[in-house]
Amino acid sequence: MSGLPAGPAAPALVCAFAVTRTPPDAAALAAATGHEEGGPLRVLRAGGLCLVVQDVPAALFDQEALAERLNRPGDLERCARAHHRGVEAAHGRGPVVPLPMATLYRGDRTAERAVTSREAVLDALLDRLRDRTEWAVKVHAAEHGPDAAAGSGSGAGADTGGRAYLSRASARRRDREDAHGRALAEAEAVDAELRRYAVAAVRHRPQSERLTGRRAPQLLNVAYLVDDAERVRFTRALARIAADGRHPAVEVGVSGPWIPYSFARWDEDPDRTGQGRTDPDRTEQDRTDPDRTGQGARS
Amino acid sequence: MTAVDHPYPGPEETQLYGPPSGSLADLLERVLDKGIVIAGDIKIDLLDIELLTIRLRLFIASVDTAKKAGIDWWETDPALSSRAARDALAEENARLRARLDALEGSAGETAGAAR
Repeated sequence: MSGLPAGPAAPALVCAFAVTRTPPDAAALAAATGHEEGGPLRVLRAGGLCLVVQDVPAALFDQEALAERLNRPGDLERCARAHHRGVEAAHGRGPVVPLPMATLYRGDRTAERAVTSREAVLDALLDRLRDRTEWAVKVHAAEHGPDAAAGSGSGAGADTGGRAYLSRASARRRDREDAHGRALAEAEAVDAELRRYAVAAVRHRPQSERLTGRRAPQLLNVAYLVDDAERVRFTRALARIAADGRHPAVEVGVSGPWIPYSFARWDEDPDRTGQGRTDPDRTEQDRTDPDRTGQGARS
Repeated sequence: MTAVDHPYPGPEETQLYGPPSGSLADLLERVLDKGIVIAGDIKIDLLDIELLTIRLRLFIASVDTAKKAGIDWWETDPALSSRAARDALAEENARLRARLDALEGSAGETAGAAR
């Protein structure tokens, strides 16, 4: 089924996108494009599971070539989007376990074995992810808050004495700290509210201002795993948070629904996956909690 | 205030949406994040050592790129960042030295007092 010639002229690697139980519809798979440089997407049977893969030219996907290409932002983006397309194509029918970008094998056999040797873990993950999607929520400090407050005192300040300057400076710093503390508390409240409608949550490291393009720091970057049956309640909760004005110190942004990448750790201890179902508060976010300590240092 | 990057699809919609435009960071965070999986692969039985090594290296290469874009969530994860590992080692080293100094100091005092 491989679209590539088997001859030595074009050695190929097998690029894997996702693991599923039910193979996606053949027509849908044929219509999808993975990496532009590779062959058509195809399904590889591995025990009771399926792997959606694509043959890609080794000349472009081996170590040196990839390292070079992925260090070019344009190519990195193309590669990430191609990977996401492959994962989406795999998703057609039933849940998927998405694999990390550039999961490469030398051939079908090794790819199959990688899956069959972890079949139990993958099965548990597929159960966990079925009928659930991921929602990415980012909470920022409100842009207007602290700065407006700090700016107000400095206008008519005719007093140029050193002591007055110091006291103004420390008052400004206190204002900033207060505002930051308020924003953090509100961010936590937003998170607590959203968790009520989520099966699990993972905290990602907050993105830097350089990346978000905002002046206000990102306080929380959380992925929620939400049951399809709870989706409406989850999104309503988000809308309510926006509308009721209880959290003036923060701004909440959301993207989704995503294929649940953040909850598909296929090499993770299966016990851990099981835990997530019964006790969402003790699973992933505990592991990433140290991220929050980084917050405090940021001021 | 709430900003929604993507209109909420109704529950009847089964199609999953790709990243809303402009959220490459969200996408990278997901397809690369827990590239930790890659580190995990290394201790697990390796079926394809050569290529998993490639995966690890290329992840690190792409990390450099992501870093240029300001994504730096792995920096404090020793499993992923040799720099973080070095920092952790240096920190531990400093801690141990301080501890040793303190112990030596108190040992000296004790010795002095005993005399």
